[in-house]
Amino acid sequence: MNIQFKKGVLEICVLSVLAYKECYGYELVYEISKQIDISEGTIYPLLRRLKDEGFVTTYLQESVEGPPRKYYRLTESGRKEEHELKEEWMRFTAAVNSLLVGKNHAAE
Amino acid sequence: MLQNEQEYIRILRDRLEGTLPAEDLEDLLSDYREHFRLGKADGRSEEELFRSLGSPEEVAKEIRATHLVKKAEHTCSCRNIFHAVVATLGLGLFNLVFVLLPFLLLIAMLLFVFVTGVVFTLVGPAAFVYALLQLMGLPAFSIWLSPLAGIFLSVGITAIGLLLIIGDYYLARFFYLLGIRYLKWNIRVITGTVNE
Repeated sequence: MNIQFKKGVLEICVLSVLAYKECYGYELVYEISKQIDISEGTIYPLLRRLKDEGFVTTYLQESVEGPPRKYYRLTESGRKEEHELKEEWMRFTAAVNSLLVGKNHAAE
Repeated sequence: MLQNEQEYIRILRDRLEGTLPAEDLEDLLSDYREHFRLGKADGRSEEELFRSLGSPEEVAKEIRATHLVKKAEHTCSCRNIFHAVVATLGLGLFNLVFVLLPFLLLIAMLLFVFVTGVVFTLVGPAAFVYALLQLMGLPAFSIWLSPLAGIFLSVGITAIGLLLIIGDYYLARFFYLLGIRYLKWNIRVITGTVNE
């Protein structure tokens, strides 16, 4: 897929994954990169920005093996943002899909 | 070039030291160290992890640009916005068109309005004095058909000049804030590599 296109979408993906579970960075990168082919390094700057904008917070949690891990959690405004972006995305893709399939033309 | 954790961290540190506050830099580096640590625990090699992370230079560029734009938003100054624009330019060749071109056009426009304002402001008093002299019949040849109208006109010219300068200030502020929002959007959506 087009590079520019993917970058814009990455934000929704990160927010969506965090909406159903709190993750540490590596886990989040893994969840996303198994679906989308990305440079995994770009997720960390994105997470920093989301934290900066108040959409996510971080906390350290002990793990069984090794030092504590940094977990990411959606804030209230992060949840709202995720919801809005998702709605927008659904509407947009539904519209594009119907154009691609040619439903509108067939209906004429 | 070696593709291992040490090299990845070194490149990030090299590129960001001095720009990012030390505390932020250490925090960022610890994110990547954790990534390597967990990746290795997952049975992946450092080379493999390095490759799937992608270019550390690109990551550094993006973080630098984000930070400098934030700084320019926080403290409005010509220097800060200049640094922010230059950092964003480095994110992709097409930003020559999408960032540099609009930036230069804006500067040119603001400068033009300012210079016009200054010229009007300076010409006004000169014309005023000339009109006064002409009323007294002093100058050898007259520029004002009616010196009395000249007095009013020259006051008007100065007023317009001052308004242009004041307006230019607000215009600059408006475009500064708009520019910051645009740069943020540009970094978020358009530039940077997601896929190597």
